[in-house]
Amino acid sequence: MANIYDDVVEVARRTMVLFFVVDTSGSMEGSKIGTLNQAIEDVIPEISEISQSNADAQIKIAVLAFSNSAKWITPKPVPAEDFSWDYLNASGLTAFGDACSCLNEKLSRNAFMSEITGSFAPAIFLLSDGEPTDEYIDCLDDLWKNNWFRKAIKVAVAIGEDANKEVLADFTGDPDAVLTAHNPEVLRKMIRFLSVTSSQIGSKSSSVGKANPDAAPSKQDDFIEQVQIASNSGDFAEDEVLW
Amino acid sequence: MAKFSSGNRIPLKNGTAVVKNKLGEGGQGNVYLAEMNGCEYALKWYHTNSLKNPAKFYDNLINNIEQGSPSPVFIWPKDVTEIIDGEFGYIMDLIPSEYKCFSDFLLTREKFPSVRSVVNAALNITNGFRELHRRGFSYQDLNDGNFFIEPQSGAVLICDTDNVAPYGESLGIAGKARYMAPEVVRNLKAPDVMTDRFSLAVILFRLLFLDHPLEGKRTLCPCLTEELEQKFYGKIPLFIYDKQENSNRPVRGVHCNVIKLWDLFPGFIREKFSCVFSQECLHGQKPRPSDNEWQIAFTRLRDCIVKCPCGGDTFVDLNEDVSFCINCEGKIPRPPVLISKKYAAALFPGNNIYRCHIDVDSDDYLHKVGEVIRSRNRPDVWGLRNTSGYDWKVTLKDGTESILQNGRVQIIAVAKSIDFGGCVGLIAM
Ligand SMILES: [Zn+2]
Repeated sequence: MANIYDDVVEVARRTMVLFFVVDTSGSMEGSKIGTLNQAIEDVIPEISEISQSNADAQIKIAVLAFSNSAKWITPKPVPAEDFSWDYLNASGLTAFGDACSCLNEKLSRNAFMSEITGSFAPAIFLLSDGEPTDEYIDCLDDLWKNNWFRKAIKVAVAIGEDANKEVLADFTGDPDAVLTAHNPEVLRKMIRFLSVTSSQIGSKSSSVGKANPDAAPSKQDDFIEQVQIASNSGDFAEDEVLW
Repeated sequence: MAKFSSGNRIPLKNGTAVVKNKLGEGGQGNVYLAEMNGCEYALKWYHTNSLKNPAKFYDNLINNIEQGSPSPVFIWPKDVTEIIDGEFGYIMDLIPSEYKCFSDFLLTREKFPSVRSVVNAALNITNGFRELHRRGFSYQDLNDGNFFIEPQSGAVLICDTDNVAPYGESLGIAGKARYMAPEVVRNLKAPDVMTDRFSLAVILFRLLFLDHPLEGKRTLCPCLTEELEQKFYGKIPLFIYDKQENSNRPVRGVHCNVIKLWDLFPGFIREKFSCVFSQECLHGQKPRPSDNEWQIAFTRLRDCIVKCPCGGDTFVDLNEDVSFCINCEGKIPRPPVLISKKYAAALFPGNNIYRCHIDVDSDDYLHKVGEVIRSRNRPDVWGLRNTSGYDWKVTLKDGTESILQNGRVQIIAVAKSIDFGGCVGLIAM
């Protein structure tokens, strides 16, 4: 039976890319990279569900790993429902500057951000346990000149006490967007919470009704607010310092 | 935040709920499956620090429960919990699985089987909001995630009613830019009845046409930042079919649905959308069409649906001798029409007439009072059966009058008018 709704098509959705930027230097070896691999793998189905039931945007995932140099694990962003996490190995140095350059190169309309139906600003999630071993300052400065990066939701997790939190705060542009995990349990919780929350906020039309007249809302502010609610509720409380 | 597990007993104002398992979590809190008196309910438990003013929120919940649900379409709070360590929640009915989230229709995970189901859904949503507003509430945060539709019948359930508050009360709930009125997007105004009307119009538009009324050529951009959302939905919104300005028309290959569907709907429906999304209404220089106007418009739309021989439901123009099927483009001659003061209903086999058609003071589109049937032996003979519960007085074309008792059928072709008791309907052939 004929019906005009038989051949309607899925509404045009924007795309939101969730970037995982992962430190895979030698110091990450063992329980750090092990926990990270498992936690990200476990959260992917949840991200996929957020994407599939979301009429505002679909979520794609891109992964950049950095040790002696930075390397894209995904040649281009992959729809969350088609994405599977390849376990990363840890060895070598911490070429953070190279990671910034690689990110800068792909955050472009001519590279990863080429969707016909447009994008929301990405969400960028950095995980690191150490200190940059390359000259990163100019690379990070250049990255901050990239508008996609400036508009992105940015968050970092420092894994253990040896991580240089100042560098991470320079990356996110906000010390409140840097969390520290001292044991696997908390790292797992943070990875899940931060991936899900940044995906939810990043892939939806922005929330309005809170700012001053004619002032645009900020997804980064909404995100930080959620992070603080979770922290204040004791969601990331640590009773054991392992790292 | 308190986290519950199976077997936890939660004290309510009037009873106790026993937690079974967690159903989901969101920014505002968690939702659990809970049991009370042998029935299953949903229990929503808040992150109280996600609420601007938890005490006010709690009092508002209690007030809403005392006032009662304005319409069965709302999944209304049934009872609040006691406050435990500063936190609280409420219980409500579960959404039956045959109801599908509106975003699933936009994503075409679900499709409507006919225009009749869509129009019924539009009527049910509109009526729900009419009743809500009549009781002095506003909804505040309408979007594609908070209502559910049964695809076949168009039955509707609207959830997230914990944000519903009396006019003028603001619970500090932030809505999504895509669904909020421009003045709310610009933070010039807190949500109220007038801004609900805008959100309702966006929902109705997307229900019919799937695409978004303000998203066309101009809003295609590489990166939709918060600043651009502020612009497209707040400062300079422009309807895709604006009558004066064509710079935001839908784009082929992107906004495919609205391009295909817009012209298939009767002019009076398109006109309503052109009005609510006109620059004057967008910028608040003219009042937006009321819930009642929408309800009348969709009742009229339902009145002109008939079944084409191709099997599909289509609209007929009741002012034209011939209409064309929206599915197969086949010719459809105008059926007989029952004309009352406010409405004109196609008397086509399978259609019904409702309270609103026989009572000038009523806009009741649900209470059926008559049905159009086809003679079993002679399919070209159509009749109107009185199911109103009382007698009608029929005047035939030859001038004779007769009484049509409840349950009896009048052959339509020979009837001139029907006196429904105080209100006379004319039958035009
Ligand atoms: Zn047809």
